[in-house]
Amino acid sequence: MKIVKLKKSNLFLFLEIISKEADLWAPVKKSPDKHIFEVIEDFSKINLDYTRTILPPKKIMLPANFNMFRASSTEYTPDFSHVNKKIIFGIHPCDIHALVTMDKFYSHEYNDPYYQRARDNTLILGHSCWPDEYCLCKSTHTHVVEEGYDLFFTDLEDTYVVWIGSSRGDDLIRLKPELFDEDLTDKDIQKFSKRREERDKAFAKDINFEAMPDLMELKYQSPLWDKLGEACLACGSCSNVCPTCNCYNVEDKPILGKNCSNISRCWDSCTLENYSGVAGGENFREKRSDRLKLFYTHKLQSYISKYGKPACVGCGRCIVTCPVDINVYTVSKSLDGEEVDTFWNRLSKEVTK
Amino acid sequence: MNKDKLKIGIYELTGCAGCALLITDCEMELIDIFNAADIQSFLMVKSDNIDGELDIALVEGSVTTEKEIEELKDIRERAKVVVAFGLCASVGGIQARFGNKEWKENYKKIYGDIEMTHTRAVQSKPIDAYIDVDLYLPGCPVGKEQFLHFFTRVLKGSPPEKYPRPVCVTCKYNENDCLLNKGIPCLGPLTADGCGSICPNYNLPCTGCWGPVEGANPYSEFFLLKEKGFDIEAIKKLMSNYAGTKLAEFFEQFRKESK
Repeated sequence: MKIVKLKKSNLFLFLEIISKEADLWAPVKKSPDKHIFEVIEDFSKINLDYTRTILPPKKIMLPANFNMFRASSTEYTPDFSHVNKKIIFGIHPCDIHALVTMDKFYSHEYNDPYYQRARDNTLILGHSCWPDEYCLCKSTHTHVVEEGYDLFFTDLEDTYVVWIGSSRGDDLIRLKPELFDEDLTDKDIQKFSKRREERDKAFAKDINFEAMPDLMELKYQSPLWDKLGEACLACGSCSNVCPTCNCYNVEDKPILGKNCSNISRCWDSCTLENYSGVAGGENFREKRSDRLKLFYTHKLQSYISKYGKPACVGCGRCIVTCPVDINVYTVSKSLDGEEVDTFWNRLSKEVTK
Repeated sequence: MNKDKLKIGIYELTGCAGCALLITDCEMELIDIFNAADIQSFLMVKSDNIDGELDIALVEGSVTTEKEIEELKDIRERAKVVVAFGLCASVGGIQARFGNKEWKENYKKIYGDIEMTHTRAVQSKPIDAYIDVDLYLPGCPVGKEQFLHFFTRVLKGSPPEKYPRPVCVTCKYNENDCLLNKGIPCLGPLTADGCGSICPNYNLPCTGCWGPVEGANPYSEFFLLKEKGFDIEAIKKLMSNYAGTKLAEFFEQFRKESK
């Protein structure tokens, strides 16, 4: 592992040099409490003082809606127009972990070329962050990254300590090596360690993730799920904002006046009513509580047995998004036997009143 | 006329005619639309209308007069497939938001005891109150893309799979902040998707104009809004604005669940 330093004042210059032949995606502030990843035309729009974006970077790999191919009775033309050279700058450790999880998922049994090609053409430039009251990444051990990035920038006041995580990352540095300083002083290292120590102390929330697979199994018939089902708005937002949710739906879109169809793909959510519907009109998970069980089995249990870590990366997006407080924190705490003050708990008391 | 082309009729009952107008607004596709199908009847755009047998009838608007009931039944007899086209045809529209008692009072207030000679007004209802409906395409008005997709699929003999989704799905695709979380009474979770979440895109709450989405949880949203400090009657009014007669089902379910 090679580590270099970059003066903060040289950041935009560096970004300009590396993004000449690629789209640069970075966080942009849209309103006082809203950041999103956007293609950057004007570097001054980049805002690194953010905690989480509304949608995770999965949208950069696979847009919410895109065409997979065009088909007629005789021809088949794949459509990879969503793939181009991209650089994502300013992505936080939790979201990098989520991409690593996605990498495994999309190559586990079947290689998904739409994800794979987009991923192969994308460079990941991570950035350090500071937790807010909703961050859970320390509990999921996703607050530090060992893999999945090409460069990682840690903010030390006037300089960045830049970790080079891949040969492609190294190539970027070599485009303008004079911007970088290889001599890390003891003072820099001290600063780096101190920052990390203080950051680790700043977490307000934690979950005992180790206990979750067993608790999911033990509490599968718990009335908790009915309480959650009663309150769930079935809006699908938890899946849409989750950086590891990857389900999608495919639709045939014939073109008027032509004898061919676009076969398009869009994000789906297991909390929507028809998600588990099949031909013939049967629906295996008509109840909202059954659909939430599926969601949380995925997040807290089955990924652990399959990939060795939970599907949750502790980004806190479900916590800030769900209007009725159904999120990985309140569900885990309840599974762990804690009484949590949530809308869905209050609603269930309303019923029994 | 080409024998292979599907015979289609587009009919307007009571409504703003916005859904029929939407078809004429598909300017880039109009030639394709008229080439792909044999449009037998479409009062808004042509005068040589034939009221014969049809493969598909698109019916816009709600049923508000006895004459319309007869018209509708006649369309049903002539058409193999009847599509409820737009919010009014699907759920009754704004004009169907009153309960039966309230409607009678309003009728009397406006018309007094006058006996109608031409046709009698009836309480506004969606078309499925009188006939069997094969397909529904909600919207106020129906979205252009939504219509073209639906129309093309129907012409190919495979109408779109039913996959009801609330406005929230597209709203999140568009990376809007959730307005409910800001204490703004947004009906996104209760409302059928298809508008592109146009109101929340401009920081305005969804008013529910696409009509209720199947699988919604009005019960939870009702209490959520109540907890946020909104008056019960105000919530009912808000939720019933565009819900048409489906509101009765909403509150029926609501009563059952709250027992």
